Amino acid sequence: LAINMAAQKTDVLQGTLDLMVLKTLDTMGSQHGYGIAQRLQQVSNDLLQLNQGTLYPALLRLEQRGWIASRWGTSENNRRARYYSLTRHGRKQLEREEAEWQQRAEIMARLLGGAAGGAQS
Amino acid sequence: MTAREFLSRLKGAIGLGRTDSDLANEVDFHREMLEAGHRRRGLDEDAARRAARLALGGTAQIAESWRDQRGLAFVDTLRQDIRYGLRLFRRTPGFTLSALLTLALGIGANTAIFSVVDAVLLRPLPYVDPDRLVTVGDREPDGSSSNVGFATVVDWMARSRAFESFSVMRLWMPTLVTGSDAERLSAVRVSWNYFDLLGARPVIGRTFVRDDDRPEDWYSVVLSESLWRRRFDADPGVVGRTVTLNDRPYRILGVMPASFEPLDAERYYHAPPQLWAALGYDATSAAASGACRSCQHLRAFGRLKSGVTLEAATAEMNAIREQLRRAHPSDYQSGSMAIVPLRTALTGDARVALLVLLAAVAAVLLIACANVASLQLARGLTRHREIVLRSALGAGRARVLRQLLTESMLLAAGGAIAGIALASGAVRMLVAFAPISLPRLGQVAVDGRVLAFTAVVSASAGVVFGLAPAWKGATAGRERTLVVDLRGTVAGRSRARTLLIVLDFALALVLLAGAGLMLRTVATLAHAEPGFRADGVITLQFSLNGARYPTDESVVTAQQVILEKLRALPGVKDVALAGQIPFGGVQDCWGFHALGRMQPNAANDPCVDRYSFTGDYLRAMGIPLVAGRTLTDEDSATAARTILISRATAKLIWADADPLGAQVRIGSATEGRWRTVVGIVGDVHHDDVTVPPAAAMYTPEAQITSAYLTAVISARGGDAAELSQSARAAIHELSPLIPIYGVASLTALVDRSAAERVFVMRLLVVFAAVALLLAAVGLYGVVSYTVGERSREVCVRMALGAQRRDVLRLVLAGGLTLVAIGVVVGVGAALALTRYLGTLVFGVSPTDPATFAAAAALLTFVALLAHWVPVRRALRIDPASALRAE
Repeated sequence: LAINMAAQKTDVLQGTLDLMVLKTLDTMGSQHGYGIAQRLQQVSNDLLQLNQGTLYPALLRLEQRGWIASRWGTSENNRRARYYSLTRHGRKQLEREEAEWQQRAEIMARLLGGAAGGAQS
Repeated sequence: MTAREFLSRLKGAIGLGRTDSDLANEVDFHREMLEAGHRRRGLDEDAARRAARLALGGTAQIAESWRDQRGLAFVDTLRQDIRYGLRLFRRTPGFTLSALLTLALGIGANTAIFSVVDAVLLRPLPYVDPDRLVTVGDREPDGSSSNVGFATVVDWMARSRAFESFSVMRLWMPTLVTGSDAERLSAVRVSWNYFDLLGARPVIGRTFVRDDDRPEDWYSVVLSESLWRRRFDADPGVVGRTVTLNDRPYRILGVMPASFEPLDAERYYHAPPQLWAALGYDATSAAASGACRSCQHLRAFGRLKSGVTLEAATAEMNAIREQLRRAHPSDYQSGSMAIVPLRTALTGDARVALLVLLAAVAAVLLIACANVASLQLARGLTRHREIVLRSALGAGRARVLRQLLTESMLLAAGGAIAGIALASGAVRMLVAFAPISLPRLGQVAVDGRVLAFTAVVSASAGVVFGLAPAWKGATAGRERTLVVDLRGTVAGRSRARTLLIVLDFALALVLLAGAGLMLRTVATLAHAEPGFRADGVITLQFSLNGARYPTDESVVTAQQVILEKLRALPGVKDVALAGQIPFGGVQDCWGFHALGRMQPNAANDPCVDRYSFTGDYLRAMGIPLVAGRTLTDEDSATAARTILISRATAKLIWADADPLGAQVRIGSATEGRWRTVVGIVGDVHHDDVTVPPAAAMYTPEAQITSAYLTAVISARGGDAAELSQSARAAIHELSPLIPIYGVASLTALVDRSAAERVFVMRLLVVFAAVALLLAAVGLYGVVSYTVGERSREVCVRMALGAQRRDVLRLVLAGGLTLVAIGVVVGVGAALALTRYLGTLVFGVSPTDPATFAAAAALLTFVALLAHWVPVRRALRIDPASALRAE
């Protein structure tokens, strides 16, 4: 499985991207679009194929839903940049989605593991 | 999408969200950071820039998907289409103006007529649960409910299970004297539960309770808001005061609000009643209070229990009627009950008239739509290239369709706004010209309901006139070549336009036929013989009641004095005082029992309209004496009882026998004195020349005396207004406290009865004229277009030796064929539709061939006119120069 993943970059599903962005902002605090993209690449060891044509609309969508807020600020290299941060509403949403994701992952793990066990016996 | 996201995106869609440059800055920053990163990893300037751009992806695509997320796709497209459409309209002001004007006419007419229809027919009556309110009575030939006697209603109350309650009312015209001024009030006597049954509340004080409605003391009144303002200076402390009516004090209980809509009395008074008093009838003593069984002078209405259907209530009331008839066989005719929903009873004949007008304006709007569709089809040709280009650039058929429809909707919206402006002016004129018989006219207004109707109509119109052109346009887009041969498309469009012309002319013909029928009707009415000569006759109503006229003798004495005074006036030919006159708005029908010619059950004897007079009534009215003698002063209170009958009565009772000298009883068959028939007079129409004259009789005023009188004065020529002034003064010489009201010429009274038909006629003529004009304009457009298109063909023909009349034939043939088809279709439709005019049409068949022929001829004439300019242009074509232009 790991070998397969290393072989090709994987696209990000929309719902997954939302969760990733929320989690990133949760751990890093206020951050601009470039920072979020960098972080996601790092964490995924460059395995994520993150399209900026999806990232920016996603940021706008999250903002429209009231999960994140944005404002202009000054970056580490003294450039004007737009900073995004998690709202109270967004934090709750993150908890919900995290829990859901964990559960889904467990189910998948159990299902895949169980199937493997069945094949062995 | 959550509500929050939707709102946020809606804001974005209308330009209140983040701006495009905002995102551009953000993306720039992203790219710079990427570049800086690559440089740090050792790439040179150029390579770093290239790598960054590669990693970022297309900024245009980012911006586009970001913008999609910012707004709402459909709003964005709509905004684009609207902006584009408006730009196009500005560029073709001729097209835009004519389309807007056409639509404004159609939509305005619909808005105006609907506002009347809504107020009169549709809006719920302003009572609690109005759907359960009905009028109750014997079924009249026209399906309405008759008046009833009090004892009958008391029995209903005791026996009916279908009704919550019944209430009755009668008209009452007391005299209100303040200082030296006497006024006759239009009032109504009502049983105590009248207001409760309607669910109406007073603004001040209270309405009647059971205890106010006692035979020995019913002297309490509820004021209308207008009387309260006019006569009591809107005094809030008016409750508890008294008002003197007919020389007797009445307690004031309360004041009804101006918004209270009184039931039914308006059409008799031609104005809303000003005062309500209790009825004060005694069910146990018929003789004492007029609470009789067989007389019918009360209007009864009731409130059905909730859930009871009209059918169930009618069945029950029929059963009760049968029980009562068995118990009192001499009091009831055979017959059945009519339970009529209050709305139907109040609206009466106005319903048909209004629906006819609504259908007419709908036809006008259809023609307007056809014309605008036709204009758009023509314009579509010039836009063909643009649409093909758009399609080539990737716009789908649905997208093009949507854009073209949006343009149509824009036109419709513009037409609606102009139409509403037109309508608010038209509504005022409508109300001013409308006959008084239309109830609730005061409430006609272009309000929210009407605007909603207009919005729906306009949007539908937009689809109707936009769909065909849009479809054609969108289909054109499928041709993937920019260099198109327009000829095929032109043919298709022309076919659509010719169909629209046929539709135009067919609809216009239907309207013309309807207008023609109404014109003939009104002309017939103007020449209809009412049975009397109305020209030069003036009428004044007055009443002799109150303490000064306690007895019939005192009234008769006053009558004679007034008669003498009126006779002495200069310019007077003949004078009479009458209890009622034809077209005077009152009806007084009495059972008519001729000795030896009664039905086995005298209750089934016919009801005959009773007139009474003193003076030279027959001469003043120009009613012919057919046989015997007229009534004179000799027929006094003490003389033998005498009576005149009309021809219709003679025929009805005596057929071919001679009625002179016959003995009759009126009212009761078993009581009262016998009257001798001394003369036969010509028939008069009572209130409607379109129905055969009813049977009538005339009694001497001295023998059956009325306190409410109409002076009938035939003038020797001269000024009618002056004469009525001097007549008024003459009556006031006797006493200034005699109220005089309803001063009118007899012709005006007769004309009032035709008002409804005249109203419908005028509007139909206007609508037909508009329809004809629109149809002609549409035809003109198509013909000129065809001429322009065929100018080359004309040239070739002329070059080959064709004569002017050949050219003429060529041009006319196309247009006139369409008109002919339109006429044929229209005549077919009119034949099927004009019968819905129903009783509005009088004296002419609804399918009158002459009217239809005239309509077709007028239509054809106008069609020829529409050809005039294009034909002249075709004839002036100079073959040489036209060919060079090719």
